[in-house]
Amino acid sequence: MKLKAKLALLLTLVMLCSFCAVQASAEEVTLRVALWDYSNTEYYKTMISGFEAANPGIKVEVVEFSAAEYSDTIVVKMTAQEDYDVIFMKGLPEMAALINQGALMPLDELAEGYDFAPYGGTEQSLVVDGVLYGMPFRKDNNLIFYNKDLFDAAGVEYPHDGMTFEEYLDLAREMTSGEGADKVYGTHVHTWASNVYMYSRFIDEYVYNDASTWDALIPYYEGILALQNEGVVQDYGSLKSGNIHYSGVFYKQEAAMMQIGTWYINMLLENIPSEDYASFNWGVCSIPNDQGITTENVVGGLTPVAIGAYAKHPEEAWSFLAYITGSEGAQILAKTGIVPAWAGQEVLDIFDGFHNDHPNAPEGLSKYLTGNFVIEQPMDANGKAIAAVGDEMHSAIMTGSMSVEDAIAEYKAKAIQEGAAE
Amino acid sequence: MTQGLQSQRKPGSKLHIKRTLIAYSFIAPNFIGYMVLTFVPIILSFVYSTMEWNLGVEKTFVGIGNFRYMFSVDLDFWKVVWNTFYYTIGTVPVCLILSLLLAILMNQGLRGKVFFRSVFFFPYVASLVAVAVVWMALFNPDKGPVNELLRSLGMKNPPRWAGSAEWAMPTVIGLTIWKQAGYYMVVYLAALQGVPMELYEAARMDGANAFQRFTHVTWPMVTPTTFFVSMMLIIGTFKSYDIMYVTTQGGPGTATKVLAYHIYNNAFVSMKFGYASALSVFLFFVVLIITLIQFRGEKRFTSYL
Repeated sequence: MKLKAKLALLLTLVMLCSFCAVQASAEEVTLRVALWDYSNTEYYKTMISGFEAANPGIKVEVVEFSAAEYSDTIVVKMTAQEDYDVIFMKGLPEMAALINQGALMPLDELAEGYDFAPYGGTEQSLVVDGVLYGMPFRKDNNLIFYNKDLFDAAGVEYPHDGMTFEEYLDLAREMTSGEGADKVYGTHVHTWASNVYMYSRFIDEYVYNDASTWDALIPYYEGILALQNEGVVQDYGSLKSGNIHYSGVFYKQEAAMMQIGTWYINMLLENIPSEDYASFNWGVCSIPNDQGITTENVVGGLTPVAIGAYAKHPEEAWSFLAYITGSEGAQILAKTGIVPAWAGQEVLDIFDGFHNDHPNAPEGLSKYLTGNFVIEQPMDANGKAIAAVGDEMHSAIMTGSMSVEDAIAEYKAKAIQEGAAE
Repeated sequence: MTQGLQSQRKPGSKLHIKRTLIAYSFIAPNFIGYMVLTFVPIILSFVYSTMEWNLGVEKTFVGIGNFRYMFSVDLDFWKVVWNTFYYTIGTVPVCLILSLLLAILMNQGLRGKVFFRSVFFFPYVASLVAVAVVWMALFNPDKGPVNELLRSLGMKNPPRWAGSAEWAMPTVIGLTIWKQAGYYMVVYLAALQGVPMELYEAARMDGANAFQRFTHVTWPMVTPTTFFVSMMLIIGTFKSYDIMYVTTQGGPGTATKVLAYHIYNNAFVSMKFGYASALSVFLFFVVLIITLIQFRGEKRFTSYL
């Protein structure tokens, strides 16, 4: 009897407690946020806890997906009308696909009166038919990274802003030395199509969704292929078969230069600390071109973030967007060496200050982040398909399976079939 | 009494219905899963193959438009069909013969055959991604041990394997065979152990040598297994896309783009679900026709004891 009475009391208590819990959570809003690489990216966690602290009553629940398939996964997920409040995207092609299927919420009403000035106009790339569908979170423009120690040892002058493409190729040739395991390659060309087309895109010659501009790629492919044949860069087929990540090649000082996005600043700060025995001094300069353009242009991609069309809490989702893409979020990002789209003075100061804490990092990084932002792949409803054609062409050319002219002629036709302008 | 029982067993009787229901309840979990997750989507893909649909709300009926596009407009289609046949024809006979030879070897009183059996079976059990990474490392055009060996044997320009359009498909075929042969070896081993010893004894008495014993006893006795293995292999290679996905992504260019990969690309990269469904309907009929031909052949070539 006694035992039964105790049990009954316990049960009543449990029920009361859970009732209270339900009461408490009823006032709380939980935002569901879809993203990738959450568990191994510190800044997401810092931002989310910062946001939760600043907005009591709003909790953030992260739904994490695998990074490699994220672009495809999120598009398929949204056809099932998932109620994610906040959706991160890797780039504009998948954003276009999401807008096309009506999966993103227009932001114009929510964003009324918001100060867009610090975004430097990048938000305009997220406007389709006059409607704003997302906020620019990160922006990454491509630069030439170089290893100052290798240049010093070779007695060669550092690469500089405004080099012509030909000068850049010759510099790479000059910096190639050694044999076998000691070989230093003049530059490193990773396996992405962007590692070639960025040179042309930088000066707005080439646009991926306009096939009539594809011929502009010919001299760049010929230049890079020549380097590959001369052994100045590692071979595409080898890199691809070996699944070689570009970061290690540069960390291990196997290449004197490399064209890659500004996220590499973060990777170098974290992986090549100045006090480390394997450390080296590094620098950056703008992409070579034949028009004398230096830092007034930057070329790269945006990482947009949007509100899902089936979101349960759009108001709170907007405050989350404003927090992470605004001043607070931008500074958290910048401190890790990731370039936020919000480019207020606070952010620029952080980048200029890296040299103080990391003497092997260059001074004055901010001037490489503020130029007119040439968007790598402008929004296009067929963007994903056209980009895939470009990738296929890249592999055909870089393996020497087709001549540059033949490949471009053939793949232009395929791109047009996938919806690119003729 | 017997009559009573019989009447209860008659179709329509209470007991009969009850028993049938019980029997159905046993297969229900699997059957419902199959219906919902496999059969309905198959039927739906036939429906979608007549539509234009980018996963959005709107679906437009286009009749045979997708098929017309497939046969006359799609610049990749015929190349992809050719690649699929190349892959299948390159894989199936070699894999079949190799697994039979391995099984015959393993069926001898060899020392350490359990060890070798496990070694050959291992690639089949191992994860495809891991096996593929190892294979690609072995066949790395510049730093791989295979090309190092070829160079040391005096070959100046060894094949660039997955890094060249000509050799990419053979590289993938090699990987498939390596991965699959162990499994079919086990299947053949079971068949070989089912061949009655008396037949070999009789053949020996008649003076048959080892080769004759193989052609006149072993081979005819394992034909049902050969039929099964070849059918599984052909269907498997026609549907395969995962191997290309983890190794070459269909490249270089279109060198290893097979039908199933083309379907994946159209559906999940290009968001053309209608056209992807049409392609999968085409693949369905190709596999169906080949399987029917095989069943025909079965009656002719297979001997059941």
